[in-house]
Amino acid sequence: QRHSQQDTRVQYERIGADVTMKCGAMDWDAAVTWTVNGSDIDESHLNGSYLVLRNVHLGHSGQYSCYEGSSWHLKYQTSLKVGTPPKEPVLMCRSNNYPKRFYCSWHLPSPTYIPNTFNISVIHGTREMVCEKEAVPKNRCHIRYLQLFSTVKYKVTLTVTNALGRNSTTITFDEFAIVKPDPPENVVAKPVPYSPRRLEVRWNNPSSWPDPESFPLKFFLRYRPLILDQWQHVELSDGTSHTITDAYAGKEYIIQVAAKDNDIGTWSDWSVAVHATPWTEEPKYLTTEAQAPETTTSSTSSFVPPPTTKICDQEKVVGS
Amino acid sequence: NTDEAGAGQSIQKTYDLTRYLEHQLRTLAGTYLNYLGPPFNEPDFNPPRMTRAEMVPSATVDFELWRSLNDNARLAANYRAYTHLLCYLRGMDGQVAKADLRKSLGHFCSSLQGLVVSIAGVMSSLGYPLPGSLGSTDPAWAHGPGPISPHNDFLKKMDDFWLLKELQTWLWRSAKDFNRLKKKVPPAAVTLRLEAQG
Amino acid sequence: LVQSCGYITPESPVLAIGSNFTAWCILNESCLDYGNIYASQIIWKTKRSLVPKEQYREINRTVSSVTFNDTSTLATPLTCNILADGHLEQNIYGIDVRLGLPPEKPENLSCIVHQTSRSRFSMNCTWNPGRATFLDTEFWLRTRWPQETFNDCKAAVVNNSCLIPDVQFFVNLEVWVEAKNDLGMMESEHLLFDPVDMVKPLPPQNLSVTSGILPTVLKLSWENRIIPAEMELKFNILYKISDSPDWMEVPPEDTASTRTSFTVQGLKPYTEYVFLLRCMKRDGLGYWSDWSEEKSGVTIEDR
Repeated sequence: QRHSQQDTRVQYERIGADVTMKCGAMDWDAAVTWTVNGSDIDESHLNGSYLVLRNVHLGHSGQYSCYEGSSWHLKYQTSLKVGTPPKEPVLMCRSNNYPKRFYCSWHLPSPTYIPNTFNISVIHGTREMVCEKEAVPKNRCHIRYLQLFSTVKYKVTLTVTNALGRNSTTITFDEFAIVKPDPPENVVAKPVPYSPRRLEVRWNNPSSWPDPESFPLKFFLRYRPLILDQWQHVELSDGTSHTITDAYAGKEYIIQVAAKDNDIGTWSDWSVAVHATPWTEEPKYLTTEAQAPETTTSSTSSFVPPPTTKICDQEKVVGS
Repeated sequence: NTDEAGAGQSIQKTYDLTRYLEHQLRTLAGTYLNYLGPPFNEPDFNPPRMTRAEMVPSATVDFELWRSLNDNARLAANYRAYTHLLCYLRGMDGQVAKADLRKSLGHFCSSLQGLVVSIAGVMSSLGYPLPGSLGSTDPAWAHGPGPISPHNDFLKKMDDFWLLKELQTWLWRSAKDFNRLKKKVPPAAVTLRLEAQG
Repeated sequence: LVQSCGYITPESPVLAIGSNFTAWCILNESCLDYGNIYASQIIWKTKRSLVPKEQYREINRTVSSVTFNDTSTLATPLTCNILADGHLEQNIYGIDVRLGLPPEKPENLSCIVHQTSRSRFSMNCTWNPGRATFLDTEFWLRTRWPQETFNDCKAAVVNNSCLIPDVQFFVNLEVWVEAKNDLGMMESEHLLFDPVDMVKPLPPQNLSVTSGILPTVLKLSWENRIIPAEMELKFNILYKISDSPDWMEVPPEDTASTRTSFTVQGLKPYTEYVFLLRCMKRDGLGYWSDWSEEKSGVTIEDR
């Protein structure tokens, strides 16, 4: 009968470390039994009554207990957590709803396998600003803009601490440099009836952008037929719609839109891609009259331009 | 003249000019900072703001205050700032050794003068008086450029650095100011107000 | 015998052709006593011809006047002479008379803003200077904003154009011409415009033509030399089969917004086409650029 009444202690060790555990107050030469997560540990790990774990790795994490040999009294218990000290955290701040707020988010370049605590400080000139934490996602907090149009840089320091060490990152940035809207929303592309080379594209400002009236967005539209890899681009300084006028007749297109504040910051990511195919004429049911030869006889006819193209005499056009 | 074109059109034109100036300044500032040389042309150069730099009108404004500014106050702030920024800029213009840079600065000063004229045009088309003489409560910069540039060349360059940065920021602010004005001042409403004034 | 015994007033006058003119020859008192000469002995000459006596008038002992009702025939110089001792003609004084016309009102003032390089523009204004004035006449192009007057531009010798090297956009500019000579000054109509609405941009450059994977398609790409902060653009695209005289135009409504490429369709397979491109301000204000350099491309075979 093992008596296991002990307040659980937590012990953190670095990966690769050598760990020695004493059996509480027991002498070195006392007869003891060690278990990990309830399973006996092989004698080879013992040095007298001490438990010796060499070059520990993640697998060594667990609940270690030491019982007195004869009475099976629990003499020592600890929860061993093997991990690493935090590396320099990656910190990023961005405003996708300028000028209301900006947020900072962070992550560790590699896991530490043990609990970490993060502490962030945001300094603007001489003023410390509050970074309102969010439940989800945990590694993000928001800062409300108290001032606008400031030439003083923001300085954000993130300190991460765990039982095995501490690290920090500091970034400084201008107010405008971090402005990056979310992608445009509700992108819709439609053929234009009777226009075999046109596609009409519409979208909305990202709903996260609080004041498009005072802080208008401009847009970048890219489109290509699925049969090609190369995109065509067009930048639009106002409005939330555009008509593509040189779409390949009858070919399916993929279209995306990005947004940016008209004056400051950087482009958003591309929106969700939408697909559309320009309008094409319904195939006619061939009747006897309709079967007039469509193909041009080689000798007589000259090149017949597509209906939408006007013939013009260059001098008349060039000179105008 | 501008009145007939309507406040709406002159606000739009002033907005276009603000964005055009912002574009010009981006190129000009880069060239000028390269002319000043390191560390002034290094991207992360972040010098302390010396007291002299306080003499340059700052675009920084409390968020809620900025949002709640009425049209007259919003325009007056722009007018006053650019009137002073122009003085500083003309001060810079005279001391540049490189001819092409001096020419660019000269062109930019004219453009900035155009902005002052445009803002004045908008204010008059809206029936607002131009900001007059300054009261004692006005910020330090409002009383014009301070004593002639410091004897220390590095401090002089520092002033120029902050002037360009502040000017760039003012142009961003003005673009947003005029966006707000554009939306709030449909041309029709303005003519009624002018007629009402008799 | 006779030193400077008198003078004519007015001194070197400028007279409007066809107007009337009176000049006075005033003899010095000193000459009267010494030289025994009187105003009545004065004879007036234009160049070498004698002025008819009917046009003289003896004002008093020392002053004689001559009047011309129509200066069109007044040759220069006009001289005041004395017949000394009844036969010896002695010149007293002479003046050069310049005849001309006051300037007419300069007409048809128009300006065009030429893009000279990226973000560099100059404005050339031309006008009809009106008739010849036969006098030194200066033409000044004046420009101003409501509270700022700019340096005036003195017209070139031909008198009907002026180049302003530095142009500001987005501020309405008041422009007019002043013509001035010794007979008067005339102003043209005042124009009020935003120079950005008078731009003739440089044509797009680096035009390239690439064939696609469809035999009836060629894709044009180019670089605009005007930035969006200056103006939005629209385009004209012309194309033809390289050995054909007939140009075809892409419908303008298809190229009515700022872009840097266009896919031309409906072409003949395996055929060489030549393309031309030009641009102007999207809202139609201003002038078309010149045409770009010609560029050709060949559609692929129809397999």
